Amino acid sequence: MSPELLNVLEVMLNGLLAGVMYSLVALGFVLIYKASGIFNYAQGVMALFAALTLVGFQTGQIPFAHVINTMFGTHVETWGPGVPTFLAIILTIGVMVLFAYLVERVVLKHMVNQAPIILFMTTIGLAYFMEGFGDLMWGADIKTMDVGLPSGASTWFETTTASWAAEGSNYPGMYVDMLDVSAAGIAILLVVVLTLFSQYTKTGRALRAVADDHQAALTVGISLRTIWVIVWSIAGCVALVAGIMWGAKSGVQFSLSLIALKALPVLILGGFTSIPGAIVGGLIIGVGEKLFEYSIGGMLGGATENWFAYGLALFFLMFRPQGLFGERIIERV
Amino acid sequence: MDHQSDTFPKLLNDNAQRFASRVAMREKDYGIWQSWTWAQMREEIVALANGLAALGFQRGDKLAIVGSNRPRLYWGICAAQCLGGIPVPVYQDSVADEMQYVLEHAEAKFVIAEDQEQVDKMLEIQERCPNMHHIIYDDPRGMRSYRHDHLHDFTEVQALGREFVKEHPEYVNQEIAKGQGSDISIFLYTSGTTGKPKGVVMTYDNIIMTARNSANFDKLTQYEEVLSYLPMAWVGDHIFSYGQAYVAGFCINCPESESTISTDLREIGPTYYFAPPRVFENILTTVTIRMHDAGKLKQRMYNYFMDVARKTGVKILNGESVGFSDKLLYSLGNVLVYAPLKNTMGFSRIRLAYTAGEAIGPEIFDFFRSLGINIKQLYGQTEAAVFITMQPDGQIFADTVGVPAPGVDVKIAENGEVIYRGPGVFHSYYKNEQSTRETKNTEGWVFTGDAGYFAENGHLKIIDRIKDVGRFNDGSMFAPKYIENKLKFFPHIKEAVAFGHERDYCTAFINIDLEAVGNWAERNNVPYASYQELAGNPQVYQMMLKSIEEVNRSLASDKLLSNSQIHRFLILHKELDPDDGELTRTRKVRRRIIAEKYGVLIDALYNGSKQCFIRTEVTFEDGRKGAIEANLHLMDVPTFTPVKEAA
Amino acid sequence: MAEPTQDGRKIGGTLLEVKNITLSFGGVKALTDISFDIKEGEIRAIIGPNGAGKSSMLNVISGFYHPQQGEVWFRGQKRASMRPYEVARQGIARTFQNIALFKGMSTLDNLMTGRITHMHKNLFWQAIWKGPAEREEIAHRERVEHIIDFLGIQAIRKTPVGRLPYGLQKRVELGRALAAEAKLLLLDEPMAGMNLEEKEDMCRFILDVNDEFGTTIALIEHDMGVVMDLSDRVVVLDYGKKLADGTPNEVRNDPAVIEAYLGVGH
Repeated sequence: MSPELLNVLEVMLNGLLAGVMYSLVALGFVLIYKASGIFNYAQGVMALFAALTLVGFQTGQIPFAHVINTMFGTHVETWGPGVPTFLAIILTIGVMVLFAYLVERVVLKHMVNQAPIILFMTTIGLAYFMEGFGDLMWGADIKTMDVGLPSGASTWFETTTASWAAEGSNYPGMYVDMLDVSAAGIAILLVVVLTLFSQYTKTGRALRAVADDHQAALTVGISLRTIWVIVWSIAGCVALVAGIMWGAKSGVQFSLSLIALKALPVLILGGFTSIPGAIVGGLIIGVGEKLFEYSIGGMLGGATENWFAYGLALFFLMFRPQGLFGERIIERV
Repeated sequence: MDHQSDTFPKLLNDNAQRFASRVAMREKDYGIWQSWTWAQMREEIVALANGLAALGFQRGDKLAIVGSNRPRLYWGICAAQCLGGIPVPVYQDSVADEMQYVLEHAEAKFVIAEDQEQVDKMLEIQERCPNMHHIIYDDPRGMRSYRHDHLHDFTEVQALGREFVKEHPEYVNQEIAKGQGSDISIFLYTSGTTGKPKGVVMTYDNIIMTARNSANFDKLTQYEEVLSYLPMAWVGDHIFSYGQAYVAGFCINCPESESTISTDLREIGPTYYFAPPRVFENILTTVTIRMHDAGKLKQRMYNYFMDVARKTGVKILNGESVGFSDKLLYSLGNVLVYAPLKNTMGFSRIRLAYTAGEAIGPEIFDFFRSLGINIKQLYGQTEAAVFITMQPDGQIFADTVGVPAPGVDVKIAENGEVIYRGPGVFHSYYKNEQSTRETKNTEGWVFTGDAGYFAENGHLKIIDRIKDVGRFNDGSMFAPKYIENKLKFFPHIKEAVAFGHERDYCTAFINIDLEAVGNWAERNNVPYASYQELAGNPQVYQMMLKSIEEVNRSLASDKLLSNSQIHRFLILHKELDPDDGELTRTRKVRRRIIAEKYGVLIDALYNGSKQCFIRTEVTFEDGRKGAIEANLHLMDVPTFTPVKEAA
Repeated sequence: MAEPTQDGRKIGGTLLEVKNITLSFGGVKALTDISFDIKEGEIRAIIGPNGAGKSSMLNVISGFYHPQQGEVWFRGQKRASMRPYEVARQGIARTFQNIALFKGMSTLDNLMTGRITHMHKNLFWQAIWKGPAEREEIAHRERVEHIIDFLGIQAIRKTPVGRLPYGLQKRVELGRALAAEAKLLLLDEPMAGMNLEEKEDMCRFILDVNDEFGTTIALIEHDMGVVMDLSDRVVVLDYGKKLADGTPNEVRNDPAVIEAYLGVGH
């Protein structure tokens, strides 16, 4: 194979891996949207919050240390060496479930039967509250995330692909970050588990039932509030996974919450109500933006990755507003 | 095989040893395919036979089988035969009165009914059937509150049998041993479309020898899978799902319910399948409609590869040689189109399919064959235990029904009627000496009532019912239904009526198919406001003219029927309708009524006029009566000189 | 205590009783001081012209509406104000006039969802799947298959219900309510919008359900004729008030009913 072709392949592969990350974020949106009709603006902040919490547990930070120090004049920062990663993840999941429970208790309970726009505004409020709350709890400084996932280039992959190139072309081999690969692996696993769960268990069926028809779900004895707690918990776990991946890649910091914005075009492409749509949409955007940058980006002065996804989404909105997999929008008169 | 078992109970014993752990029967129940091996099935049947004996069933007693294809009803057939009794399967759709006639005529003493619906019918007619002593039901649903001494749950009877066998361990075995090939095995009642149903008496030899011959002819093995969905009272099901299954030892599958047949077909994927032409026609229509709705790419792919299939598929199936590139293209088509298509139809594993009963349209026939589905035609009758002629592999023609089945002699009587004799020829009509003598002569030849002839290649061609065949003035044969069928194979012709008996030449009325022609009109921007207007459209006339010309061309090459070419035709201004008495409810043409009603038009067809005025009474859908009038065009059709066969 | 009817069914003591129910929306009174009871094993009809308050009554029983005054007694106990899912868990299943099925799910999944109140393995076991949760699934699947067989809907087992014709959807909805194995089955105009044949089928199913499983059924129906053949006792509502209560015969001959209800139709 010629080095040019291999280059394109490399770009596509990296695009796919990046796309998986987008999908992961979009997935959290879709889950909540399907079950409760709420577009959860706070999904990105949830990822940030989850990542902060995880790092906090890992490093043994004392929550609200800053507040405590100000109030009592102390200088506490940590309470010890921190807990092992595995335990920290379990604890963080616990926190996310608790968070889901509180959201339902404190917020959603009072918002039943409100217009979608009001629910959306509620989640914006929730997002800003959580952002501040996260800062207050864990501090605003940038943290590094290390959960022991492999990272860096895969030399094995480099040498293997180098041997594909034509003799004497001096092709150095493809660069693939192991972190991206493991992220993709975990994301795929997550989707498979979620799918199996929703197809073959009682609770999964109840989730689908609620997503389908609230009234009908009530009459068969499904408690909407329990289901909402479960859905927000699952979305919280998905956010945690997304937070870990993005955090490991580019540090745990405020900008992490902006990945929510990256998910928006993915949702427009894939449809707000479709889990496969979220995945395929993410992959298309990932590959699309990388290929675009590689082939045309140079001519346009680079950095097309910043806007390509939105351009594509806009294009899609004009031709297929319901998304690739979304339910057809039928206006009833 | 050194010894050949001559009754079904003996075959059951053989199979329970030879194929002990092979599955003999499956039934989908509560969403799961339940299965029985030959050994298990034998155990069930013997328990039932003992139970029947305990209830007093004796040699020569009749056991009526009322219901759809359920394993337990099939077991009932064999259980009765174990005791030297005679099973009488009944068409399950019949109303109570029709059943009463059959049960009374057959003097059925026992009944196995499928469910509440059938039991209710039995209870309704019980008073009028003094011979009927015991009713056994398969499905107890809804019958909790039924209290009758002579009403038994199937499992109860089997439990009774398991007790009975403790005291009489050898009884059933002795009874089985008493049976022999010349004994009566079953009564199969004809459906009785004309007059009262007749009970066709069959011996074990009739059924078993026919089943054996045909199974050898088509190399059926114990590995076949069959879906049993045709009425058990019909001779076809008795051969395909019972006779051949016992002889070859293959597995039959009972669908979950009538409405699930297509799903069950897909799940089972039978290797051997029978369906009347109508079923194949429906499948093709569904496929065509679905493809119309499919995306552009899919449509193009389908059309392209179906062209490939039509070119090479049939040849490959017939074992003819085809070019390498064609073969390659066909296998590509198989991956992309044919295999998925066959899978949705449930024909993925099909090795052999038969159709019979009506003429099948050549394009339907070729569609399935080009996909690699070995669909063949046979010609048969209840009185023959199905097989009179069948098509051997590699010699398949859409317009003939094959060569005489193994062991069967077929010839054409002087009046043109097809007659046959062979091992499957029925014993007699039950309690109807006269009919027996009328149908079967002393030398054993059976009159089919069909007119036909052998084509040059030795294949039989069926033309029409002998009583409908007429003569032209020059004495040559006129077979209206044959001509009408040829016309009706065109999708835009819904109905046709041919005239010619005691005339100089053949003429025809045509009924357009509103859906097909309307569709064509829409695509070609031909405006029309009514059926009448569309039927009178000159372009439509041209379209029909072309089709009729084609029919004439094919008739010209037929040595017997070249005189039947259509000289003139007209398109009727209204649809022939059962409500107006022009068709029977089963959509058969009522010639006498049409001749009366449209006498003017028929005269016009023979007096050379170009136009004819007609006023007809019609019945509207709401029952009101009215009249429509029209000025119809009559059109001449070119005819062809008969092709002389090269010597 | 149980008194058998002519056809051998058993009618028992009071299963549900509503006492002096008054329900109003804003200033409009939908129900005024309604009382009646439903006995175990009977088919009870609530009829009345459009806007009579039949659906409101059903919604009160199934917990969708909460009356301003009055009490609902179920199985001998006064019921606290409950949410619909809690009512369902108590053993009251219902169908809707305009069908509330899970349209994107298959018939089988719809029925399985109907059994949700009977499935008790917690999230932990569900997540592990093998073992107890799987056995539970299989046991419930079997029950559901019996209902599928009972209603004759084998052919549509795997079809998303949104694609089914109206009559079949109604049947699936009945199936889902049956799957709940409720003590009381509330049917909101089960025959609405059906053709004659479908109506006859539905009648048959309602009678069979009552007969085969002994389920108590309360149904709302607009079609007088159907109700009279079907039910043991009938309550007649008009403008939110109770007009009459008794056997179909008594009701049919009640002058107030003839004037308010039958008079319109004739």
